[in-house]
Amino acid sequence: MTATASVASVGARRVRRYHLTLLGIALLIVLLSLVRMLTGDNDLTSSGTFAAALGYAVPIGLAGLGGLWAERAGVVNIGLEGMMVLGTWCAGYAGYLYGPVAALAAGLLGGAIGGLVHAVATVTFGVDHIVSGVAINVLGPGVTRFLSEVLYRDDSAAAELGGGTTTSPTMRGQTPDFSLPLLSDGPDWLKRLEDTHWFVLSDLAGVLGGLTRDVGVLIILAVALVPISYLVLWHTPFGLRLRACGENPHAADSLGVRVYRTKYIAVIISGALAGLGGVFLVFVTTKYVEGQTNGRGFIGLAAMIFGNWRPGMLAGGASLFGYADGLQLRSSQSVTGLFLFGALLLLCYAALRIRRDLTAQVPSGGSRSYTVVAVSALGAAIFFWLWLTVETLPNEFVFITPHVLTLLVLSVAAQRLRMPKADGLRYRRGEER
Amino acid sequence: MLRIRFGKPALGALAGALLLAISACGGGGGGGGDAANTGASGSGAATSDLKVGLAFDIGGRGDKSFNDSAYAGLMRAKDELKAEVKDLSPVGDGSNRGELLRRLAGAGFNPIIGVGFAYAGDVETVAKEYPDVQFAIVDAPSSGPNVTGLTFAEHEGSYLAGVAAALKSKSGHLGFVGGVESDLIRKFEAGFVKGAKDTKPDIKIDSKYLTPDGDFKGFKAPDKGKTAAEKMFEDGADIVYHAAGDSGLGVFQAAAAAGAGKWAIGVDSDQAQTVKDAALQKIIMTSMIKRVDNGVFEFVKSAQGGAKGGKTISYDLKLEGVGLATTGDHISDVQDKVDEAKKKIISGEIKVPDKP
Repeated sequence: MTATASVASVGARRVRRYHLTLLGIALLIVLLSLVRMLTGDNDLTSSGTFAAALGYAVPIGLAGLGGLWAERAGVVNIGLEGMMVLGTWCAGYAGYLYGPVAALAAGLLGGAIGGLVHAVATVTFGVDHIVSGVAINVLGPGVTRFLSEVLYRDDSAAAELGGGTTTSPTMRGQTPDFSLPLLSDGPDWLKRLEDTHWFVLSDLAGVLGGLTRDVGVLIILAVALVPISYLVLWHTPFGLRLRACGENPHAADSLGVRVYRTKYIAVIISGALAGLGGVFLVFVTTKYVEGQTNGRGFIGLAAMIFGNWRPGMLAGGASLFGYADGLQLRSSQSVTGLFLFGALLLLCYAALRIRRDLTAQVPSGGSRSYTVVAVSALGAAIFFWLWLTVETLPNEFVFITPHVLTLLVLSVAAQRLRMPKADGLRYRRGEER
Repeated sequence: MLRIRFGKPALGALAGALLLAISACGGGGGGGGDAANTGASGSGAATSDLKVGLAFDIGGRGDKSFNDSAYAGLMRAKDELKAEVKDLSPVGDGSNRGELLRRLAGAGFNPIIGVGFAYAGDVETVAKEYPDVQFAIVDAPSSGPNVTGLTFAEHEGSYLAGVAAALKSKSGHLGFVGGVESDLIRKFEAGFVKGAKDTKPDIKIDSKYLTPDGDFKGFKAPDKGKTAAEKMFEDGADIVYHAAGDSGLGVFQAAAAAGAGKWAIGVDSDQAQTVKDAALQKIIMTSMIKRVDNGVFEFVKSAQGGAKGGKTISYDLKLEGVGLATTGDHISDVQDKVDEAKKKIISGEIKVPDKP
C-alpha cells in the first residue's frame, strides 16, 4: 500500500516539476518580451541572439557533460580544458586532410586519449585528481603546439594551405546545416513573424527561429546528448553502476561492480565529450586556432556544478552563459535591458514568496522570510533605478556580463548542491576507507 | 606484501612525474621543434656573424597577419644580410615572453626583436639585464638606451581604409570590430572613423571590441568576431573593418554569409592573399597593410651597421609604413580619392587623431 502510494506521489511530484519548468520558461519569455517592448531593444529576443547563444552554449554544455560523466563515477575532471584542446587540434588536423567526418572521429579520439591519461593517473595509480587534471591542462596546449610545429612547419604542404605554428589549414569540405522547412527556411514564416515585433508572439518566433535556422549537425548531436546522458546514467543498469562508483565505490565493489573498469569507461567518455566540444569549435571557425577553447572547459565545469551534477540543469547553466555572451557581443546596448529584466524577475520572486507565506497555515520562514522579501524588493528597486539612469554601460561592464550573470544566478538558484559522495576521493580496491 | 603496499603509491608518484615530464616536453617542445626548424635552414645560409633573434606575440607564427609580416622581414634579413635567424613563439597565454627573450640573449643573438606591444614590459627588463644586446620592440616606444621602438601610424592607414569604405558603401553604414580594447587598437578605430566621417559626414559606424584591455583572447576568437560582425551586417552595415588578429577570420566568414554586396576590410598584411579560402578572398575589399616586415628589416640592417637604440622610429604614410592593399582591384575606382587623402596626410593638411 505505502509503496504504491509513494510511487504515485513520486510520479505526481515529477509531473508537477515538469509543469513548474514549463511555467518558468513561459514566464521568462513573457518577461523578456515585456522588457523588449519597454526598452525597444529587439536584440533581446532576436533570432540572431538565440542562434549565437546556442553556438556559445554548445561547447560549454559538452564540456559540462564531460565533467558530469567523470564526476558521477567519482573522478574529478579538471582536465576538461586540456582534453578540449586535444580535441580541437585533432579535429583541425584530420579535417584539413580528410574532411568533417574524419575531424569528428579524430576530435573524439583526441579527447578520449586525454581522458585515458587522466584515468590511468587517477584510477590505476591513485594520483590526486586535481594534480592529474592540471597536468593535462598543461599537457594539452604543450602537445598540440609541438605537433603544430612539427606537422605545419614552414616548408610543409600544410603551410602552403595556410597552416602554421598556431593554426591548421582550413577544413576540407562543408558541414551540413539544417533548418525547419517553411518555418525557418524558404518562406521563413518565423522570421516574418519576428519582424512584426508583436508582443510575445514575435519573441517566441525569434527564439524558435534562432534555435532552428541553419543548425549545424553537431548542435543537434550535442543537444541530443543531454537526454541521452540522462537516460544512460539514470535509467540503465550501467548508469546505476557508474553512479554507484561515484557515491560509494566500496559498496559497489562488494556487490560485484567492476569499479576500476567503470571509472575508466566514464573518464574516457568524459574526455571524448570534451573533445566533441573542441570539434564543434573547429567546425564553427573551419579550422584549428590555438587558444580557441578560451577556458570553456572550466566554464563547462562551472555549468555542471551549477546544474547540481544533473544534465538538465547543466544545459540550463550553459544556455544562460551562452545567451549572455551572445547578447553582449551583438549589442552592448541590450545589456542595460537586462537590468529591467532582473528587476522584474526579482519582483516576481518576491510576489511568489509573499503569496506562499500568506497561504501557509504555519508561517514557514519566520523573520528570515521577511528579510528575503525585503532584500529582493530592494534589489528590484536598485535594478530599476539602474535601468532608468544608465544610458550606456561602460564597455568594461559589458564584457563581464556573462560572468556576473552566471555568478548571480549561481548564488541565488544553487543553494542546495549535492555532489556525488565519493567524488574526488582516491579509491583502492580492498583497502579500508 | 611490502612491495604491494609501497609499490602502488610509488608507481603513482612515478606516473605523476612522468605526466609532468611529458607536459614539460610539450611546452619546451615548441622551442625544441623550432630550433631544429630554423637551425637547419639558418646554418645553410649564414655566412656573416649576424645572429638575429625574434620573439613572436601570442597568435604567433602563422597568423597570416601581423606576426607573419614580421617573419617576412626576418626572412629578408636572412637572405639579404646573410643573417642567422631564430624565432620563438610564446605559450598560449603568453606568460613566458620574458623567458623567450632571455633564451635568445643568452644564446648570443644580437639584435633581438619582440613582436607586439605585449612585449613592452619584458623588453624593458631584459634589455637592462643585457645592456650590450640591441633590442627592438614592434608597436611600442623605446624604453632604454639599447631598445629601438618600431611604431606604425595605424591611424593614418586606417584613415585611408575609412575613406575607401565610405566611398564604396551603398548603405552609408560601416562597422569596426576590434580585438582587444587597448590604446593600440583604438588607434585603428579612430583613424577609420575620422576617414569615413571626413568623406561622408552622415555615415553611420558601429564599433565593437571583443575583449577588454589586458585580455588578449580577443585576438584569437574567430567565433566572437563572427557574432559581432553578423550583427553589424544584419543591422545594415555593408563594409566591416577589423583589427582583431585571428578573430578577423570570423568577420570574413560573416561577410561571406551575409550575401552579395557585403565586404570586409583586412588588417596588418594583405589578407586577400594570406587567407587561403577562395570564398573569403572574394569579400575582402582591401587590407590596411602594416609593413612590419620593412620595420624589422630596416632595424636589423641598421643594427648590423652598428646603430644604437634609444629612439623610436614611427613608420607612417611618408615612410610607406602603412597603406592599402589593392589585391582584387576592388578599390581601383576610388583610388584617386584615397591617394588624394594620402597626400594631404603626408603634407600635414589632414591631422589624423590617434584616439577615438
